[in-house]
Amino acid sequence: MSKKEYIIQTKDLNLWYGENHALMDINLNMRPNKVTALIGPSGCGKSTLIRCFNRMNDVIPDCKVKGHVYFNDEDIYGHGIDAVEIRKKIGMVFQKPNPFPKSIFENIAYGPRVQGMNNKKKLDEIVEKSLKDAALWDEVKDRLNDSAMGLSGGQQQRLCIARSLAIKPEIILMDEPCSSLDPIATAKIEDLIGELKKNYTVIIVTHNMQQAARVSDYTAYMYLGKMIEYGDTTQIFENPKEELTEKYITGRFG
Amino acid sequence: MSDKKHKLPYLIFSKKYFKENIIKILLLISAVTCIIIIFSILFFLVKEAYPLPTDIWSFLSGDKWRPTSANPQFGILSLIAGTLLVTLGAIIFAVPLSIGSAIFISEIASPRIRGFIKPIIELLAGIPSVVYGFFGLIILVDWIYKGFGVPTGETWLAGSIILGIMAIPTITSVAEDAINAVPRHYKEGSLAMGATKWQTIRKVVLPSALSGITAAIILGIGRAVGETMAVLMICGNSPIIPDPVWNVFSPIRTLTSNLGIEIGEVPFGSGHYHALFGVAVVLLIITLVINISAVYILGKIKEKQMALGKKKKKNYISAETTYKIKKYIKHALIGFLLIFVYLVTGLLFTGIIVLAAIVLSYVFKKLPEKKIQTISFSIITISIIIVLCILAILLGYIIVNGIDAMSWEFLTTPHSSLGRQGGIVTALMGTLYLALGAIAIALPIGVGAAIYLVEYTREGKITKTIRSAADLLNGTPSIVFGLFGFAFLVLFLGWGKVLIAGQITLAFMIIPTILRTSEEALKSVPQSIREGSLAVGATRWQTIRRVVLPPATPGIITGAILGIGRAAGETAPIMFIAVTFSAIEPSSLWAPVNALSYHIFVLATEISGQEAKIAAGGSALVLLLLVIGFYIIALLIRNYYSKKMKW
Repeated sequence: MSKKEYIIQTKDLNLWYGENHALMDINLNMRPNKVTALIGPSGCGKSTLIRCFNRMNDVIPDCKVKGHVYFNDEDIYGHGIDAVEIRKKIGMVFQKPNPFPKSIFENIAYGPRVQGMNNKKKLDEIVEKSLKDAALWDEVKDRLNDSAMGLSGGQQQRLCIARSLAIKPEIILMDEPCSSLDPIATAKIEDLIGELKKNYTVIIVTHNMQQAARVSDYTAYMYLGKMIEYGDTTQIFENPKEELTEKYITGRFG
Repeated sequence: MSDKKHKLPYLIFSKKYFKENIIKILLLISAVTCIIIIFSILFFLVKEAYPLPTDIWSFLSGDKWRPTSANPQFGILSLIAGTLLVTLGAIIFAVPLSIGSAIFISEIASPRIRGFIKPIIELLAGIPSVVYGFFGLIILVDWIYKGFGVPTGETWLAGSIILGIMAIPTITSVAEDAINAVPRHYKEGSLAMGATKWQTIRKVVLPSALSGITAAIILGIGRAVGETMAVLMICGNSPIIPDPVWNVFSPIRTLTSNLGIEIGEVPFGSGHYHALFGVAVVLLIITLVINISAVYILGKIKEKQMALGKKKKKNYISAETTYKIKKYIKHALIGFLLIFVYLVTGLLFTGIIVLAAIVLSYVFKKLPEKKIQTISFSIITISIIIVLCILAILLGYIIVNGIDAMSWEFLTTPHSSLGRQGGIVTALMGTLYLALGAIAIALPIGVGAAIYLVEYTREGKITKTIRSAADLLNGTPSIVFGLFGFAFLVLFLGWGKVLIAGQITLAFMIIPTILRTSEEALKSVPQSIREGSLAVGATRWQTIRRVVLPPATPGIITGAILGIGRAAGETAPIMFIAVTFSAIEPSSLWAPVNALSYHIFVLATEISGQEAKIAAGGSALVLLLLVIGFYIIALLIRNYYSKKMKW
C-alpha cells in the first residue's frame, strides 16, 4: 500500500437518529499505524462517530448520514459502495464482548469462512496467528473446540479482537473495549493495543481519560455531537487549546 | 440496508448478491403470504355472509333459529345468549381456581414444586377439546343427570364446567406471567416495612399485576367463546334461551356449535348457508373484540415495563375520580355476582353466603396477620389442589378406560362395524398425515415471515400490522378456519372433502403460532451478536444463517412441535373439509381421510352401544398420548436449551 498521509478522513459529516442531530460537521483526519482516541462525556457522539467508519450505523433504524467518510481516499458512503466490503477492511471490537455461541476456533474462523475460505490448513494458521496476535493463544490453545461462552470477560474481549484480526483488516475500531472488564484484563488489552499499532491503525472510543493518555498517539475530544479539539495526545492533555477540553480533562465537568 | 440505496433491478440482477437477494425475496413472499391469508379469511367470511336471508336487525335480535322449517327463521339471539351464558359460567368457575393457582405457583410454591406443577398445568392446555368433550359426555353429564335429578345432563352447567377447566391453563399461565413481572424491589420494599407475605401479595403484588390478570381473564373468555367440540358434545344443542335465563340445567346452543352442527349439511348458496356465515362473522367480531382488548392491555404493560411510554398523557380524569370509579366497579361486580347467585340458587343460599361473608370479614379483622396469612394460603393451596384433582380425574378416567380397549390389534387394524369392532389405524394415520402436512406447509411460511419481520424490516406500521394480525388470527376460533376452508377450498375451488384441504386449513390455523414463536426465538438472539458478525464482513444472510438461526432453532422447533400437537388434536376445522368416518386409507392428497379426533367424536356421539364407547375411550387415550407426547418433547427442548443458552 502506498504511503498515504491519512487513512480515514471525514468531511462535513452529519448524522441524525430520527429527529436527533447526533453528529455535526465532523472534520477529522486520522493517520495510519497510529492509535487515535475519541473521548468525551456520555452521549457526545463518539460511539456514533466510530460506527460511521465501518457503516455499522446502517443497522440502526432511521439513522440518516450526510457528508463524506474517506477510507484510503474512497468515500465509503459513496454511490454503489458495499458496506460488506468496507467491513472486511475495517474490523470492529464492541463495548461488551460478543462472541458467537460457537467454539473458540469457529469464532475466529467465522470471518474467513464467510469470505469463502474453506481450506482447513489455512484456517488453522489464521486462527493460531490471530489468537497469538491477540495475546490469547497460550491461554486457549488446548481448548480451541470449547465454547467461547465459557471464557472470562477479558478473554472473551481478546477473542473478539482476535476475531477482527482474522479478516486482516487495515483498521481496528474499538468501542469502549474495556468498559466491562476488570483492571487486570484492561491492562492486558491496553498492552495489546500498543502491539497492534505496528500492523494496524487503531481507533478507540474510551470513557477513561487515563486510558486515552496511556494508549493513544492522537486524541479527539467531542462534546454534544461536535468535534471540539483534535490533536497530539500529549498536547491535548498537557496544553489544550479549547476551554471546554481543558474543563473536561481536568475533571471539572463531564 | 447496504443495498437499500440501489434501485430494484440492480438489486435483483447484481451477480454478487444474487443468492442474497433471491433469499430476501423468498422471505418477503412468505411474509406477504401471511398477510394474504389473514385478509382472505376475513374477506371470504364476509363475502359468503352476503346476502343474509333476513335484515341484520332481525338476524341479531330474533330468538328463533329455524333454518330448515317451511317458513325459515334466522334469529341468532339464542345462540349469542348461549355463547355468553356458557362463557359466563365457565369464567365464574375458572377465575378463582386459576388466580389461586397463579399466586400459588409464582409466590408460594418452592422452586421444586413450581417446576413440577407449571408443566402439568400447561399440559392441561394441550389436551384436545374432543377429549374434554368425550370426558364431559360420558362422566360429567352423567353426574349432573344423577346428582341433580334433571331430565338430561347435557346442559349449560356441564358446558360451563368443561369450558372452565379448559380456560384454567390459559388464565393461570398469563396471570402467573403478570405476577412474576412485578419487580422484586416492590415486594422487598413491602416486606422490609414489616408486612407479612400475604399482605405483600394482596396489597402490592396483586394490584401491580392487576392489568395482566385482567388480560388473562379476557384471554380465558376468548378461549371459552371460541371452543366448539366440547360444547357441541355436552350442551344439548337446543337453540333456545334458557327459561328462566339463569336455569343452568337448560340445554343451550352456542354460535360455534351451531356452525359445527349445520355447516356440513347446508345446501350451497341457500339462505341458510349465508346465515351460517353471518353467524361466523358475529363470532369472529366477538372474538376480535376480546382479543384486541387483551392484546392492547398486554401491550400497555410491556410498554410500561420497557419504559417506552413516550410522553405522559394528560390525565383528563383526576386520580380521585378514577379511584372512585374503581370502587364503584368493584361494588357493581359484587352486586352483579350476588344477583346471579340469587337467581340461580334462591334466596336462602344467597343469604347464607352474604351472612358468611360478613361474619368472615369481621372475624378476619380481629385475627392477627399471621393467622390471616395461614388461612389465605390454605385457600390458595386448596385451589391448586382442586385443579390438580380435576386433572387427575380427567387423565385417570381416560387412561383407565382407554386401557380397556388397548391391544396390538386395536392399534394396527382399521375399524369395522361402524367402529364398534377393529381398530384405529386409519384414523391414526390420517391424523399424522393431516398434522405433518399442515406443518410442512406452515413451517416455511411462518418461519420465513418471522425472519423477514425480525431481520429485514424496521419496526414500523407494516410489522405492527402483521404482528397484530397474527395475534388476532391466533385467537380466532378454530371453527372459523374450518368455515374458511369450506367456503374457499371445498366449494370455491371445488376440491370437495380432501386431505389436502384439511392440511392447508390446519396450516393456516397454526401459522400464527409458528410466526410468533419464531419471532420470539429470533429476537432473543442479542443484537450484539449480529453486529459482531456484520463487523467481520459477513452479509446479512450469512449473519442470519450462521449466527442467528443456530441459537434460535430450538425455539423455532418448539413452536413447530406445539403446532403439530395443536393440528393433531383439532376436530372442528376439519370436520367438514377433510374427514370422513372411513376405514380406508386415502389413496392420494385428493381423497378424504379419517382422523383420530373425528373418530372419537363420531363414536361418542353417533354410534350407539357399549363397544363404541370403549373404542372411543381407546382412541381418546391414543390421541391424548400423541398430543401430550408432542407437548412433552417441546417442553423438554425448551427447558434444555433455556438452561444452556445464557447470553
